[in-house]
Amino acid sequence: MSIVFIRAIVLYIVLAFSLRLMGKRQLGELQPSELVVTILISNIAAIPVEDISVPMIMGIIPILTLVCIDVIMSGIMLKSSKVRKLMIGSPRIIISEGEILQQEMKRLRYTVDDLTEAMREQQIFDITQIHFAIVETTGKINFLLKKDYQPAEKQDVQAGGSTSNPPSVIIRDGVADKEQMRLLGLGEGWLTKILRENDVTEKKVFLLTAESGGKYTIIKKAG
Amino acid sequence: MKRIIMSIVILAIITGLSIWSVIAVNGKTDSLLDKIHETEKAFEDEDTEKCVQTAQELQNEWEEFMNRAVLVNDLGHALDITSSVAEILSFAQAENEELYASCDRAEVQVEMFRNMQKPTLWKIL
Repeated sequence: MSIVFIRAIVLYIVLAFSLRLMGKRQLGELQPSELVVTILISNIAAIPVEDISVPMIMGIIPILTLVCIDVIMSGIMLKSSKVRKLMIGSPRIIISEGEILQQEMKRLRYTVDDLTEAMREQQIFDITQIHFAIVETTGKINFLLKKDYQPAEKQDVQAGGSTSNPPSVIIRDGVADKEQMRLLGLGEGWLTKILRENDVTEKKVFLLTAESGGKYTIIKKAG
Repeated sequence: MKRIIMSIVILAIITGLSIWSVIAVNGKTDSLLDKIHETEKAFEDEDTEKCVQTAQELQNEWEEFMNRAVLVNDLGHALDITSSVAEILSFAQAENEELYASCDRAEVQVEMFRNMQKPTLWKIL
């Protein structure tokens, strides 16, 4: 039992390292090759944990090999558009100028149900509102609405205002994040002043968010 | 770029270790096969003292090698060789003719153990 336990810990570390090496992609955004690698890794990792007669290296070597090849291939794909096209394909337009390209949909084996489902996921319920739709290499469909159905933007109504970065968390659950303060250009003095103004200590703060201008929101811990 | 370099380094290390494991297993199994033949020869020559001595050396050599070999090979095969090697020693001590059969079995098992490491096209497929 102890062998399985230790093997599981070691494989967890190897997997965590391997996935870190693969990068920060979200599961839903995996390219076909990455999806294959992820599925393979999960299966390979299980074998040496389940069967202690199989050397653990037989699990570690293929995992590292698959991940390393995937990383190298992604590097090659970054440099070569030909390889990229070969490995992950290219986006396909399925609605152009408001017209559904049925041949293209057939080629992609996309049904009308797939299309309407993707529309509903993006809060579009009327197909006549769509001007352009493209199937990304991940399989996700993105839509561009006709001008009349696009939501109004600030520039359309000529509303003013400046763009600023969103607020960052400075204190979470009583612990200050010095790095965030440095990035916002806020010093220790600013934090001390804010805490004094609100008559609270750092430990008693549940959440403190701030913008680069110094504008902040503070929520004290309950009780 | 750092990730790509790390990946290339890891793959290079894995390639190096794979080649090294093939060479190491080859070298060691050759030595084990020589010991098996030596034991058999000594038994044929009715030199019991030498036969027991080489059988003991064979067992020691295998036990020492097995600890490292199971890192890259299946434990089941290693245990089969362990039992065959133990049989050779006990038959050598008892001057039992079944030693020949045990030697032949151990020889086949050691060769199989060695071949398992060789990346031949047949095995890859």
